[in-house]
Amino acid sequence: MEAEEFLLVRDLFRSFAGRFRIGSADEVKPSPRAAAQRALAELGLGELRRSSPPAATVQECALLAEEHGRQPLTTSLLGTVLLAPELLRVLGAGRRSDSGTTATVALARDLRFPRADTSELVAWDCEGADSALCVTPDGAVTQAELGPLAPSADLLRGIRTVRSPQRIIGRLDAPGHQHWQAYALVMVSGELVGAAREFVELSVGYARERRQYGQAIGEFQAVQHLLADATVALEACVSATRYAAWCLDNEPPERALTAARVAKAEVNRSTVEAVQAGMQVFGGIAQTWEHIAHLYLRKVLLGATVLATTADLLVPLAEPEVTR
Amino acid sequence: MTDTPLDFGDPADLDRLRRDFRAWLAGHPLPERRPDEPLPVFLHRWHRQLHSGGWVGLDVPERYGGRGLSALHQVAISDELGACHAPGIPRIGYLAHALMEFAGEDQRRRWLPRMLAGDDVWCQGFSEPGAGSDLAGMSTLATRHDGHYSVRGQKLWTSYAQYSGLCLLLARTDRGAPAHRSITAFALPLDRPGVTVRPLRAMNGDDEFCELFLDDVRIEESERIGAEGDGWPLAMTTVSYERNALDTGHISKYGLLVERLRRVARDRRGELPDGLLSEIGRCFVDYEVLVAHARRRTAERLGGQAAGPESSIDKLLMTRTEQRLYETALKVFPGELHEEGGELFGDYLYSRAASVYGGTSQIQRNIIAKRVLHLPSLSKPPNPGAT
Repeated sequence: MEAEEFLLVRDLFRSFAGRFRIGSADEVKPSPRAAAQRALAELGLGELRRSSPPAATVQECALLAEEHGRQPLTTSLLGTVLLAPELLRVLGAGRRSDSGTTATVALARDLRFPRADTSELVAWDCEGADSALCVTPDGAVTQAELGPLAPSADLLRGIRTVRSPQRIIGRLDAPGHQHWQAYALVMVSGELVGAAREFVELSVGYARERRQYGQAIGEFQAVQHLLADATVALEACVSATRYAAWCLDNEPPERALTAARVAKAEVNRSTVEAVQAGMQVFGGIAQTWEHIAHLYLRKVLLGATVLATTADLLVPLAEPEVTR
Repeated sequence: MTDTPLDFGDPADLDRLRRDFRAWLAGHPLPERRPDEPLPVFLHRWHRQLHSGGWVGLDVPERYGGRGLSALHQVAISDELGACHAPGIPRIGYLAHALMEFAGEDQRRRWLPRMLAGDDVWCQGFSEPGAGSDLAGMSTLATRHDGHYSVRGQKLWTSYAQYSGLCLLLARTDRGAPAHRSITAFALPLDRPGVTVRPLRAMNGDDEFCELFLDDVRIEESERIGAEGDGWPLAMTTVSYERNALDTGHISKYGLLVERLRRVARDRRGELPDGLLSEIGRCFVDYEVLVAHARRRTAERLGGQAAGPESSIDKLLMTRTEQRLYETALKVFPGELHEEGGELFGDYLYSRAASVYGGTSQIQRNIIAKRVLHLPSLSKPPNPGAT
C-alpha cells in the first residue's frame, strides 16, 4: 500500500477499535461480541491480501495485528481476517472456503501448531467463524465444522472444539508451508507486542500521575528501572517482529521462518515480563477483576503458548539451519 | 516511526560496495601479527591498510577525508570484516561525529583526515576516579590564561592512551556553574609536558585501560573544541553514538561465536543437556534480535532520525546479548577454565565490563526512564519505607 493508504486503513481500524474496546471483563458478552465482529468484517480487511500481488504487505498486516492487540477487543482479527484468508491464498490463487462461510484456523488442543494426531483440535480465535482450517505437519489442509465453546484463560479470545470428520481441501508445498507458519507466528507476535506496548504505556502514564509519600511514584528509581526494563524488552520484541514481517515480504520463506521463530521466542518471554512489570506499577488496583490489567496478562500469557512455546523454539534454534 | 512500515533492506548501492570491498580484501588480506606485537599496534597497521583502500570513514564528508556516504555503508564494511573473521574498523566513528558536530571548520580539516588515516590515534578522556557514571562530578580543571588554558586533574579508564597521540579531553572551565554549562572539550596532544600515562592491568591481563595524570598541562585556545561549555552536549553526542548498536563492531563478533556454539550443539547432539541447548538457542535469539534491532536503527537513521537517548536501549540489548553469550560459551567449553590464557575466557572476563563501560546499565535505565519515557525527576529526597 502507499504510505497514505496504509495510514487511512490504520485510522479506520483505530476508530473501530476505539468504538468496540471493552472497559472490563464484565463486558465480555455474546451479543456485543457478535456485533463487534460484524463491524470488523465490514471493514473488509480480509481482502487486503486477496489480490495478486497482495495489496498489503505482511509488515502492514503485522502492524494491524499490533493495533488490534493494543485494545481489549473481543474480535477475531487474527483467526478470521488474517490467518485463514492467508492460508487459503497460499493454498491456491483465488481459493476461498465454502461460499458464505467464514473460516478461522484449527490448532492442537494446547494451542500449538497441529501435530500428526489431529483427533483433538480446537478452532482458535473463532469469533464469527463457522469452520476451521487445519494444516497438518505434512502440509495437508483440512476443513471442519465447529463444536461447542471450549474454556480458555484468555477472556477476549473465543475458542471452540472442532468436529470430525475433517475434509482435505488441499496441500501446501514445502515453501508454502514455511511461509504459512512464519506468517502465523508473525501475526500472533504482532498482536502480543501491541498488547504489551499498550499496557506498558498505560502504566508509564499511571506512574506519572499516581502519588505516594507525597510524590509521583514515577519519580522513584525502583519504579523507573522496572519500566525501563519493560521498555527494553518491548523494543526487542518490536524490532524482531517487524524484521520477521519484512523478511516474509522480501526473503525466502526459509529465512523468514527462522526470523519468525526468533520473534516468537522473544515475544513469548518479553511481553509477559513487560505486562507483569506494568501490573507491578499499577499495584493493588491491577489485582482486581474490574481493572483491564488481567485482560492483558491473560492475552500475553496464553499467547506465549500459541503456535510455539519457548521450549518448542529454543532447542531447534540451537542448531544451525540445514543448508541445501 | 515505529507505527509505520520500515525498510529493513540494504540500499541498492550497498551490494556493489560489498562486492568492491571483497575484491579489494582478496588482494589486501589481514597482515600477520608479529610475535610480541601489542594488539593496538597490530590493529593500527590494519587500520592504515584499510584506509589505503578507502574503507575508513565512509560516512565522513569528502572534504574531511571521508567518502561522503552513509553510516550504513560503513556498517556494511564492518559486516564484511566480521564475516571473514577479520578485526573491525577501528572505533573512531563516534569521535569523528563529535568533531563534525562541535569542532570549528579549520579544526575539522586539521584533525579529521589524520584521524581517519591513522596518522593521529585518539583516545577519550572523560571518566575520572571521582566521576565515572556521573560526568557532572568531574573535577579536572582548565584555568584560562591569556590565549591558553592550564589543566590539572586525573582521568581514568582512558582506553589505549599509551598508544595514542591525542586525547579528546573534558575539563571544567568554570567551577561555579552547573555541569551542563561548565564542561569544555579539548584536543590534548599526549606528549605535552605535565602529561603522565599509566596503563592499568585489567582482570583479563590486557592493559587497555589507562590512568592519565595532568599536572598544569598547557592547552592552547586553538585546541579547544567548540565554545566553553560545549563539553556537555559533545559528551552526550559521543556516548549516544558509542552506545548505538550500529557504530560498534561487536555484532559480527557475537555472530561468529553464536554459530560456533550452534555447530557444537549439532555435532554433540544427545550429549549436551537440554538446558544447555536451550541456552544456546536463547543466545541465538538474542543475537538475531540484536541484528534486527540494528537494522531497524539503520532504517530510522536513514529516515532522518539522529542517535538520541534511545541508544541506551541498544546498549542494554547489546549487554544482554554479550554477557549471556560468553556465560553460555564457558558452559559449552568448560576446558577454557582450566587453560592458561584461554582466549574465550579472556573474552568472558571482558564481557563483564559491558554493563559498566560506556555508562553502567543502571545509568542507561535512568536515561530511558527520564529521556525516553519522560518520567518525572525526584522532587524531594525519598523516604518511603522509613518508620
